[in-house]
Amino acid sequence: MFGHRKNQTESPPVTGRVCSLLEIPQGQKFRIVEIKGGPGLHRRLLALGFHRGDLVALDGEALLGGPVLVKNIKSDTRIALGRRIARKILVEPADENER
Amino acid sequence: MNDRVPVVVFIGQPNCGKSTLFNAIAGFKAQTSNFPGTTVCHAHSEVAWKGRVYSIVDLPGTYSLTPQEPQEKVVLTHIFKEKPDLIVNVIDASLLCRSLELTVELLELEYPMVVVLNMMDLAEKKGMKIDPAALEKKLGVPVIRTVATRGQGTNDLMDWVEKVLGEQRRPRHLRYSGEVENRIKKLAEMLPADFPVIANPRFTAIRAIEAETLAVDKFFLENNPDFKQDLDRLRQEISALREAPAYEVLAAERHHLALKIFEDCCLVRHARLSGLEKLDSFIMHPVLGLFLLLLIFAGMFYLIFRVGSPLEAWLLKPWEALRLGIQERYGHTLLAELLVGLVQGVGGGVAIVFPYFIPLLLLMGFLEDVGYLARAGFLMDAFMHRLGLHGKSVPLFILGFGCNVPAIMATRILESRRDRIITALLIPFIPCAARTTIILALVAFLLGPWWALGFYFLNLVVVAVLSSVLTRIFKYSSPGLILEIPSLKWPSLKNILQKTYFNLKEFIRFAWPILIAGSLLLSLLSFVNFDRLVNAVLSPFVSGLLGLPSSLGVTLVFGFLRKELSLLMMFQALGVSYQQLLSVISRGQLLTFVTFVNFFIPCLSTLAILWKELGRRIALVSVLLNLSVAVLVSWLVRLAFALF
Repeated sequence: MFGHRKNQTESPPVTGRVCSLLEIPQGQKFRIVEIKGGPGLHRRLLALGFHRGDLVALDGEALLGGPVLVKNIKSDTRIALGRRIARKILVEPADENER
Repeated sequence: MNDRVPVVVFIGQPNCGKSTLFNAIAGFKAQTSNFPGTTVCHAHSEVAWKGRVYSIVDLPGTYSLTPQEPQEKVVLTHIFKEKPDLIVNVIDASLLCRSLELTVELLELEYPMVVVLNMMDLAEKKGMKIDPAALEKKLGVPVIRTVATRGQGTNDLMDWVEKVLGEQRRPRHLRYSGEVENRIKKLAEMLPADFPVIANPRFTAIRAIEAETLAVDKFFLENNPDFKQDLDRLRQEISALREAPAYEVLAAERHHLALKIFEDCCLVRHARLSGLEKLDSFIMHPVLGLFLLLLIFAGMFYLIFRVGSPLEAWLLKPWEALRLGIQERYGHTLLAELLVGLVQGVGGGVAIVFPYFIPLLLLMGFLEDVGYLARAGFLMDAFMHRLGLHGKSVPLFILGFGCNVPAIMATRILESRRDRIITALLIPFIPCAARTTIILALVAFLLGPWWALGFYFLNLVVVAVLSSVLTRIFKYSSPGLILEIPSLKWPSLKNILQKTYFNLKEFIRFAWPILIAGSLLLSLLSFVNFDRLVNAVLSPFVSGLLGLPSSLGVTLVFGFLRKELSLLMMFQALGVSYQQLLSVISRGQLLTFVTFVNFFIPCLSTLAILWKELGRRIALVSVLLNLSVAVLVSWLVRLAFALF
């Protein structure tokens, strides 16, 4: 119904390119390759079930520089991440059929 | 087994239904909601089952055994200090994959344990087919299926609790991959003799490795320079294996174990988008979602007013008749004064509870139960950033509309102490259900709904301005929002009713008696003319600064107990009935008084919880802050009415 709106960045997903969670279109599968930032953030994300290598998809975003909604495909959990945090999570495009 | 009452603890990730399960077994003792972190201090109950008594403890939800939020530390302290006899690990079956990571961690304790697959109905709806027998085999502990909201499976659970306790069956931990496991084993063997071993050497070694960069690290290493060397070396070795910090390597090991078990025991069919998920994409929509948020709250207060106001008028009638009857019959005697006081205390309570308090609690319970609070946090995050906080505080403020006390307790879910203090200082400014009731009852009833809405708006502006000021004083760049959004759930009437009953019970048990006692006391004081003394002392402030009749001074004294008391006693102090109020004071005076009372000091229970949670200093700051804001804003209201 709703929520399939493209992200503000116009570029289509480029295979093999690493970018941050803020730069990817909604609804497509990506793989977490790196979590930058301090151990505090890192541990928090680990505890919430977001690890390196996990498949994730952008599921929505709030207005006016608000948080993004990230879904973990495998565990079917969702977390809201502030932009400053989302910027620190680097992802690469994954095959749509990957599980 | 000996005669000691065995301790059974419920542990699980936030929002997995622990509290609902606990309530199903222990009776209604724990608060539930579809918002992570409602059980901030643990509930505890003695339960008899087949002739034996068990002490059952419901701990706050925790994502892992590495504590980060203050409430998660409660869990660890409990496990380590008061060694439980049995762990009941509650799992949201629809989130099996992630939940198993905590299960793997708990197995490492090697305490007797059972696993509860809760919310099985939800998992099935999501297209998950879980094989409990396979899961039981992989984990090596009994697995029980429950649907706690319907009370299904609770007898089964208690039977297993009895059985596992009787056999003292201890599970075995699951093995990490060889190269990591070997190093943990090595460290476990190197633990100094005087080292505080928790549960078993392997578990202690894992905790020690993971303590890197945490505050507990110092505790582990302080007196053991030799051990520190060993630990550092092993951390480096483990870190080198995967080119990641050691704590991440261990977390990844558990993640893979959990993933493997999940894949072996659970089949996921292609899930269709359910009706709720479609609804959710509407609720979370950046534009429509915000619109809906506004609509929900406006609609909520409109509804309460539409229901409450006529009901209130109808409920007040007999009490008013009774009061007049008493005065006619007994005149100005002590007995008459006391009876009138009693009638006003009881009647005031009736006029608060039924028309406004119950509907508001029911609606708040509904929003909490379906999982709307976290969503409001998501939608409002950007806005909150402009006020120097972030979206995680939003659910707490919304809780504050119900009652400030649990809202302040729930500030434990905030990671940073600075955010916690500021949020806790702001919550007393949020009009709780009891205060909202008075605003609606007085302002809306006497001046009209738009005035009440305006007052509410003014209230929110005050909170926003205060937030900007406070966050500027306590400057610090906030780490940003990390908030789990639980899946939307169909509301459970049972949960909502339980929650309403809970809050209502508190009101009837504590607030209403105070109200009645206060009312009686005021009657007595006025009969012996003591109130005049209080009024005279407070007069320069009450009539000088705020321009109110000085007879209102005495009601402020009662406001220290509960704020709404001051407002209810206004009638008694002014010697008029509800409907006649505006014949003795002006609209401006009424609003000035309501404003002052609304802000002037956190009520006794809020103050107590602030003191307990954040210390005496913060509680004192809160009092001063409230007093100065109350004086300033109510003076401004007076000024505004004088000018326009």
